[in-house]
Amino acid sequence: MNISGISVSTRPEWVESVAQSLSAIKGVEVHAADVRAGKLVVTLEAPTVSAEVEGFKRIRALPHVVAADLVQHYFEEDGEIIHAIPDDLDTLEGVSVPDALKDH
Amino acid sequence: MQLSRREFIKSSIAASTAGVVGLPVSRLAAAAAAELEKDWKWDKAVCRFCGTGCGIQIATHQGRIVATKGDPDAPVNRGLNCIKGYFNGKIMYGKDRLTQPLMRLKDGKFDKKGQFVPVTWEQAFDEMERQFRKTYAAQGPNGVAMFGSGQWTIHEGYAMNKLFKAGFRSNNLDPNARNCMASAVAAFYSVFGTDEPAGNYDDIEYTDTMVLWGANMAEMHPILWSRITDRRLAHANCRVVNLTTFRNMSSDIADLEIVFKPNTDLAIQNYIAREIIARDAVNKPFVEKNCVFATGPYDIGYGMRATDKYAYPAEKDTQAKEVKVKLDKWEAIAQRRKEGDVVEQKNTADPARHWMISFEDFKQGVEPYTLDFVAELAKGDPDESLDIFKNKLRQLADLYIDPKRKVVSFWTMGFNQHQRGTWVNEQCYMNHLLLGKQSMPGNGAFSLTGQPSACGTAREVGTFSHRLPADRLIPNPQHRAETEGYWKIPAKTLNPKVGSFYAKILRDLEDGSVKWAWVQVNNPWHTHPNANHWIRAAREQDNFIIVSEAYPGISAKVADLILPSAMIYEKWGGYGNAERRTQQWRQQVPPPGQARGDLWQTLEFAKRFKLKDFWGAQKVPGLKADGFADNTLPDVMADAQKLGYSPEDSLYKALFATPENLKVKWPDAVAKGHDNHIATLLGDGWFPEKAFWIEYQQFGKGKGKDLADFDVYHADKVRGLKWPVVNGKEVAWRFNEQYDPYVTKGAGIEFYGKLFKAIPTGNLDGVTDPAPKSLAGKAKIFFRPYAAPAEQPDASYNLWLCTGRVLEHWHSGTMTRRVPELHRAVPAAVMWIHPTDAEARGLKRNDLVWIESRRGKVKVRVETGGRNKMVKGTVYVPFFDEGVFINRVTLDTTCPISKESDYKKCAVKVYKA
Repeated sequence: MNISGISVSTRPEWVESVAQSLSAIKGVEVHAADVRAGKLVVTLEAPTVSAEVEGFKRIRALPHVVAADLVQHYFEEDGEIIHAIPDDLDTLEGVSVPDALKDH
Repeated sequence: MQLSRREFIKSSIAASTAGVVGLPVSRLAAAAAAELEKDWKWDKAVCRFCGTGCGIQIATHQGRIVATKGDPDAPVNRGLNCIKGYFNGKIMYGKDRLTQPLMRLKDGKFDKKGQFVPVTWEQAFDEMERQFRKTYAAQGPNGVAMFGSGQWTIHEGYAMNKLFKAGFRSNNLDPNARNCMASAVAAFYSVFGTDEPAGNYDDIEYTDTMVLWGANMAEMHPILWSRITDRRLAHANCRVVNLTTFRNMSSDIADLEIVFKPNTDLAIQNYIAREIIARDAVNKPFVEKNCVFATGPYDIGYGMRATDKYAYPAEKDTQAKEVKVKLDKWEAIAQRRKEGDVVEQKNTADPARHWMISFEDFKQGVEPYTLDFVAELAKGDPDESLDIFKNKLRQLADLYIDPKRKVVSFWTMGFNQHQRGTWVNEQCYMNHLLLGKQSMPGNGAFSLTGQPSACGTAREVGTFSHRLPADRLIPNPQHRAETEGYWKIPAKTLNPKVGSFYAKILRDLEDGSVKWAWVQVNNPWHTHPNANHWIRAAREQDNFIIVSEAYPGISAKVADLILPSAMIYEKWGGYGNAERRTQQWRQQVPPPGQARGDLWQTLEFAKRFKLKDFWGAQKVPGLKADGFADNTLPDVMADAQKLGYSPEDSLYKALFATPENLKVKWPDAVAKGHDNHIATLLGDGWFPEKAFWIEYQQFGKGKGKDLADFDVYHADKVRGLKWPVVNGKEVAWRFNEQYDPYVTKGAGIEFYGKLFKAIPTGNLDGVTDPAPKSLAGKAKIFFRPYAAPAEQPDASYNLWLCTGRVLEHWHSGTMTRRVPELHRAVPAAVMWIHPTDAEARGLKRNDLVWIESRRGKVKVRVETGGRNKMVKGTVYVPFFDEGVFINRVTLDTTCPISKESDYKKCAVKVYKA
């Protein structure tokens, strides 16, 4: 599970419309908005890193969005990544040479 | 249960985000945040990626990083992060992370044609040492080399600089930063006499005009871009200009977009200068008090090899431009010469020499750059009318010249990776100085950087083949003597001959003059242009290449030995960003397996050699310097013994674990419970990062480069400090009395940099009086002409190729592309092309094509839409993807002064694969 907190900027007159298009994106929730400052606070949830990046790119590409910045990223339960490295690497036996380094 | 936990985490993250943005947080959400984070340990750190230098907070739990956030207290990013920042916590945990030394072996022994096999550190160092001794015995200090990095921590760069220059007595150490900001440095030296910007990021909030020259900040510096868009949206009078060779994301908010042809930025800047003079807008009191005028030779080549011996047959016509250039119509007018004249490039050996000229000479130099001439030369979009383009140029000049406007010019690789990179940097200062809009809040030419410590490590520590710490230069005897003093090594230990710059180390490997090379924290075989040459040199020549890496990229693949490195938060470190801000962090988590910090690798390797191996007489072909016998470094062992050294002392003991440094003890209270795997492994009770900091601090003290004490940077409240830090106070704007204690009282503005401040006098055509004349306290306003690119589209190769980054990947992608799902899911790099150009070649979106130059070809997919809108005649390919290895295609010309490669312009053809 990947969850990011994102700050989205737009011109004040577009805050409402941007909030609507943000909510239409899968995994996105709008938590707060400030019309005068042209700022929205959203969370983006995605099962994988690439889906997270895709979601962020989609936010950034929305009409009237002038900037989208990540604030916090949470990935405590991203087991696939965290456990990709075997625990015991201190002996040569535990090590495999990455495919990319093999001459074919 | 799962759902509620998820909602709980979300509201907690939303609360943190709202807090940063300044929106109210509900009490419930705040409580959720506190509950979620109760077992986490937060600590401050710096982002691993670009030169902006954003502060981040890292949460660790049970030896793993579990969350990261933009640091709300960091003045650079004020709690925000870009998408690359998102990877800070993930890059360490990729599937193919290197965790053991790997060496090419056959039948249990090193063999260049062998396969990679895991070996122990002991075996790795044994072979490294054996190969080093073999090469050093045969070829001396010139035969070994180091590819360093603008991503080295300050401490790592400092240690390697000392090992190479003081220990091995070799100046063949050069960072990848050469290919990132060497042109900026060369111009800082020639214009101001000292490196690095006068201003800082707060200029964004002080100014009302921001001009982007070849800097797509929306994609490459997103956090600064957020500050720019905030400023633009909140101030109706604020204007943003985007000068570029194709329409990119930064144009979205720009009030004025100017699309120009490659290299014609040189002409546009001269047009602005000409307008400043024509409109009588020169700030005379400022210029008379603070500036002189200068120029230099035009016939300086393009930084290629002088010989065609190593060129492929197809490359020879481009290489020939290094020797002779036939002037086209534009260059002829721009340089006041005749079209068709063949100009021998006579100043390739000393392209940086320059001399003072009069204002009248300067005026004569810029005279040909009329609106008509420049508009016709520079208009980059064939579909735009000349009148509209002229109008845009006029508006640009208006914005610069308007006395009521403050102006900041930003640039990065568009200027720096440029065959006339030093010139075009100098020209930007030219206009700011003519107008007196420099070194004041909201007014100034501001060179941005691409790497996190291009400033802090590469430039300030001086890990270049011609530099020493804190603005000192290898050829300068006084600078060498001062360095030898700080390092407590005998006089004349340091080699006075400038070493090989980055591109030259690769050429040296190709022609066999370097046979042992070590790479840390960079990826030369992926990122250097014209890569086919260098890959062949690495794999087919008799040499030994060591690559310290975290992930297997192209350079690891061509290596003979791969050393697994600790990544950023697995070690203590410090970076310096583009606004002179130095920031340091603690080790947060242990490195996996046998991975070790680069600093540990350097120190362990130093243990294997003795002073007597290097401090006797050494042959250095080409060495010629006052006080040295030709081609020879003297035996300094006798002097060393007087200083208390023994010939049997190891380099580790003599240079690093010195009696002073051993007094800097580990463990240290500053660690606050954090570990230091390097200090622990060394096991002799000292704290190398802190000891090196104390040593390094001496170099800048009292020289305008003062740094604070180690513990200060680690204090809870400090978020980095902008040097010079004098009496505990940082300097916001250099050269300005109001902010900078180095300026003489009452001077107002003083450009006090010391380098190249006594030069001959002459006119536009050359020197008339060779006697050096002082210009202490002043800056130089250079006249530099337009010069045509070395290679331009023609009948066979009919498109321009420009290369660069994209937002979500960084440099060669060895980090951002290793997160497993990302590696699979993100499409490979694409080639952006104008729909009409695609159609003319029978191509549509997503077609697979060959892109081919005189040097090589790669396959890539066509993109006709998306974030970049190409003009007809130009294609763009990012370089992160090793599957689309675009540097096989690019041209290895450099700015002849800075030796920085130009990735932005070469000629290619595109056809269906």
